[in-house]
Amino acid sequence: MTEAIRHLITEDCRKSCKDTAAFNVLKDDVILVTGGTGFMGKWIAEMISYLNETENLNIKLYLLARDTKKFEDEVPHLAQKEFIKLISHDVRNLYDVPKEVNYIIHAAGTPDNRDHVSQPLKTLETFYKGTTNILDAATRLPSLKKILHLSSHTVYGKNNDESFINENYLGSLEVNNVNHVYGESKMVAETICAIYRNQFKLPITVLRPFAFIGPYHDLDKPWAINNFIRDGILGGPIRILGNGETIRSYLYASDMAVWILKTLVSGQPGDVYNIGSKVAVSLNELAQKIGASINPAIEILSKSSKENYTNISRFVPETKKIVNALGLEETHTIDDAISRTIVWNQLNKK
Amino acid sequence: MLKHILVTDSTLRDGNHAVAHQLSAHQIAIYAEAADKAGVPIVEVGHGNGLGASSMQVGLALEDDVTMLETARKHLTKSKLGIHVIPGFATIKRDLIRALDIGVDVVRVASHCTEADITQRHLGFVRERGKEAYGVLMMSHMASAAVLLEEAQKMELYGAEGIIIMDSAGAYLPSDVEEKISTLVNGLKVPVGFHAHNNLGLAIANSMTAIASGAKLLDATARGFGAGAGNAQIEVLVAVLEKTGYITGIDFYGILDASDLAEKDVMPLVPTIKSESIVSGLSGVFSGFAKHVTRISKEYGVDQRDVYRELGKRKVVGGQEDLIIEVVMDLVKNRK
Amino acid sequence: MMKKLRVAILGSGNIGTDLLIKIQRSEFLECVLFIGRNLSSPGMAKAIALGVKVSDESIHAIEKDPDAVDLVFDATSAKDAAHHWAILDKLGKIVVDMTPAKLGGLCIPAVNLDEAVKQRNVNMITCGGQASIPMAYVIGKTQKDVKYIEVVSSIASRSAGPATRLNLDEYVDTTEMGLSIFSNVKKTKAILNLNPADPCIDMQTTIFAQVENPDMEALKKEVDIMIESIRDYVPGYSLLVSPIYENGRIVIMVKAQGLGDYLPKYAGNLDIINCAAIAVAEQYSKVENQIN
Repeated sequence: MTEAIRHLITEDCRKSCKDTAAFNVLKDDVILVTGGTGFMGKWIAEMISYLNETENLNIKLYLLARDTKKFEDEVPHLAQKEFIKLISHDVRNLYDVPKEVNYIIHAAGTPDNRDHVSQPLKTLETFYKGTTNILDAATRLPSLKKILHLSSHTVYGKNNDESFINENYLGSLEVNNVNHVYGESKMVAETICAIYRNQFKLPITVLRPFAFIGPYHDLDKPWAINNFIRDGILGGPIRILGNGETIRSYLYASDMAVWILKTLVSGQPGDVYNIGSKVAVSLNELAQKIGASINPAIEILSKSSKENYTNISRFVPETKKIVNALGLEETHTIDDAISRTIVWNQLNKK
Repeated sequence: MLKHILVTDSTLRDGNHAVAHQLSAHQIAIYAEAADKAGVPIVEVGHGNGLGASSMQVGLALEDDVTMLETARKHLTKSKLGIHVIPGFATIKRDLIRALDIGVDVVRVASHCTEADITQRHLGFVRERGKEAYGVLMMSHMASAAVLLEEAQKMELYGAEGIIIMDSAGAYLPSDVEEKISTLVNGLKVPVGFHAHNNLGLAIANSMTAIASGAKLLDATARGFGAGAGNAQIEVLVAVLEKTGYITGIDFYGILDASDLAEKDVMPLVPTIKSESIVSGLSGVFSGFAKHVTRISKEYGVDQRDVYRELGKRKVVGGQEDLIIEVVMDLVKNRK
Repeated sequence: MMKKLRVAILGSGNIGTDLLIKIQRSEFLECVLFIGRNLSSPGMAKAIALGVKVSDESIHAIEKDPDAVDLVFDATSAKDAAHHWAILDKLGKIVVDMTPAKLGGLCIPAVNLDEAVKQRNVNMITCGGQASIPMAYVIGKTQKDVKYIEVVSSIASRSAGPATRLNLDEYVDTTEMGLSIFSNVKKTKAILNLNPADPCIDMQTTIFAQVENPDMEALKKEVDIMIESIRDYVPGYSLLVSPIYENGRIVIMVKAQGLGDYLPKYAGNLDIINCAAIAVAEQYSKVENQIN
C-alpha cells in the first residue's frame, strides 16, 4: 500500500476519532469480528490499528470470514499486523470461538443483493444459522463483555412517507417475493438476538446500518453511489437507474468505524440504534456531485421505468438517538466523502 | 410532455433467423449505413441466437462474429452497435471480450424467462467495462407476470439498465402484454421494453399496447424481417408512434428508405404470416425454430403443423432445436 | 480376500451425497470419511444414518489421519480442489476430481480407464462431457476428416444449482477441451440449455459432427458397442436417436436417466458423472487387488 493511501486512511481515522480516550476501556481486550474481511471489517481493523498506535491500547483483533486469503491479498498491511489474527471459517457451521474474546461484532453475511437473489437459501441460512451459532458460542465465553449485532435498514421494509426513519418504525416486506429474502433474513437475525438477550441473558446491542461510502468499498457492488463513482472514473456517462429523485444518505467510512466502536463500548443490552448519515441527498444530486468531482464534462444519463413516480423512495435515518446517547457526530460532509473515496479509488487502481 | 421511446433495430440480428443466418458482410454494411443515416438509436447485429451461437444446433452463420461486428462498426457513426448474448452459447473469455474490443456499445444479455440468474456474470462483466447492459427475458409467454417480475428484478440487480421481455413465439394477445408490461413497469426501477413477433398479426398492436402500459423500449425490424412470421415493422412502428405523439429520434423518410433498401437487397422475401407461423404462434414455439421445422418435416414427410403442436406440448425452449429431430422421428414411428 | 479401497468424500452437497450412496453398493470401495463444512446439512445427516464417519474440518480431516484413506473424491469447487490437491499430492493420495479444475488427466471410463488410473489425479470433466465425449471419440475413431464436433446438452432447470449457473463459461470451456482431446478434432463447441418444463426433462445430449463422406455403417457399429460399455457403469444411458446423416452433419442423440439414488431420476447429469467417477475408483481398487 502506498504512502499516499496510508496517509489518507490515517487522516480519516484522526478526523473521525476525536475522542480517543473514550476507547481506553478497551485496553488489552480481545475483539472478534465475524465477516471481518469485508468493508466494515477492514475499517474496524484500520480504526483499531489507529487506536493501538496512538493510545497504545494493545487491543487484539480476531477477524473471522470464509475467505481470509482475499483479505491477505487485498490489505497485506493489515493482515501482517501483530495484533490481527485471521480465522478462516463459515459462520453457518461455527461452533466455538477463542476463549479469550471479550467483545463480538457480528457483521457476517454479504450485503451484495446479487448474491441474495441468485442464492436466496444460502442468504437466509447465513443469517439464521450464522447468528444462532455465534450467539450460542458466545454463551460459553468466560469473559464476554458485549456483543454488537450489525442488522440492516432493510428491516424497516418499505418506507411509507417517513422523512427520517426512527428506530420505532415498523415496515412490511413481501414475504412471497424471493428478492426480499435479505430483509426477512435480517429481521429473523434480530429476533434471534432478542431471544439470546432475553432467554440466555447475553449483552447484545443492535445497530441498523443505512448506507456508507468510503475507501475499501467495492465499486462493482450494485449500489447507486458505487456505480456512479465507477462510471465516473471510467469516463462516464454516469447512469442513474430508476427515479433520480430517490433519496438516500451516506455516512463516511471512518465515521462508521468510530460509531460502531463507540456503540460496542457504550451501548446497552437491548438498545437498537440506526447508524448512517442524516443528510439526505437525491440520486440526481449525487450523480452531479460525483461528476463534478471527477470531470465537469462527464455526461449524466437517466434510465427510469416511468415518467412520473407517485411515491419517491426515501431511506434516511433519524440519528438523534445514537448521536445523543453516545456523543457522536458526522465529521465528513457528503462532498468530502465523495472526493476522498474517488481519490482513494484513483490511487488504488490496479 | 415529450415521451421518448428507444427503438432497437434488430433487422441484422433477428433478420438473420429468416435467412438461416446467411446475412453477408455486404448486406450488413449497406443496411447499417442506411439505419445510421436514418438516426436509428441502436442497431443490433449478429447471428439470430446472438454472439457465439453459430453452431450446427441452431445454424452456422455465413460470416463469423468478428466480421459481422467489425463491418457494422465501420458503418455506424451516430447509431450504437448492439449485440444479443445468451450465456450457455457465448462465454466471456471466448466471445464477449472480443466483441467489446471491436467497439460494441450495447450488450443485451438474454436468458429463458425463468432462468435470469445465468446472466449474472455476463451482465456484471459488461457493467465493469462501463458499457450499456440490458437484460432480456425470452419466451416470456411461458411465465406469469409475477415470476417475470422476480426474474427481471434479479437482472436489474446484476446491472441491467433496462429489461426487455420477448414474445419469441408471437403468442401474446394485447391483454397479455398489458398485464405483463404494467407489472414490470410498476415493480422495476429501470425502463421496460417489448420485442414483438407477428405470428398472430399483432406485432404493431402489441407494441403500442406495451407503450400504453408504460414500456419505453421497443424492438422492430425493417419490413418485419425476422424469425418465423417476423417482428414489428420498424417503418410502420415509427409512423404510428409519431402519429400518437411519441418521439423516436428516427427520421421517417430515412427509415422508409432503409426498409426499401432492405426489401430490395437484404431479404429474399418480405415476411408474411404463413400457415405454419400461425400454428407455431398458437403452440407457443420459439420463432427461430421455423426453418429447422420446415426442413426436417419435409425430409421425413411429416406435417410440420403436427410438429409444432408436439413441440408446444413439450414446452421446448429456445436453443433446443435438436428436439425437432426427435419429435419428427416419433411422428414417423407412430405413423406406421 | 478382496480388500476394499478406503475412500473419503470431500464435499457434502448433492454430488458428494450421491457418491456416498453409490459407494455403499460397491464391492470394491468403502467410504471411511464423509467431509463437508456443515455438520447439519442433509448429506451429513444421511452419512450419519448410514454409519459413516463424518467431519466438518474440510481437508484437515484427512491431514489429521492420512493413513486411514487411500483415495479422495473431490466434490467441492475448482478453486478448492486446487488447494486440496497441493496437500493430497504430498500425502501420496489418489484424487478423483469432480470439479472443472483439470489438474490431472481427463477420464472417460469407457475410453481411457486403464491409462487414467496410472495417474494419481483423474478429472471427470463435466456431466455433458461424460455424456457426449464417448460419442465424439467414436466419431473421431470411425470417420475420416472430421472438421468440427459440437455437443448440445439440455438439462432440467431444477437439476442446475447456483454452482452450475454461475460457472456456465467454465462448463463450456472444460467440455470443449475434453471433446477436442478425445476426438482429436481441433474445432469443438459445447452448448448448455436449461429447461424449466414440469415434469422435469431427463438429461439429453446431441452430438453433431461435420463430416463430408461419413461411414455410417462403421459408426453405428461402434456406437452400439460404446453404448453397451457405458451402460456397464451408467445403467441409465441410452441412445435416443440412432446415428443419422442429415444436412451435411452426423447427428447422434443420447439420454442419461439417473438411478434416483439421491436426487430424482431426471438429474441424469449428476448421475452420469458420478457413475463414471465410481468406475474410476473401482478400477483403482481392482488394480490394487490385481484383478483383471
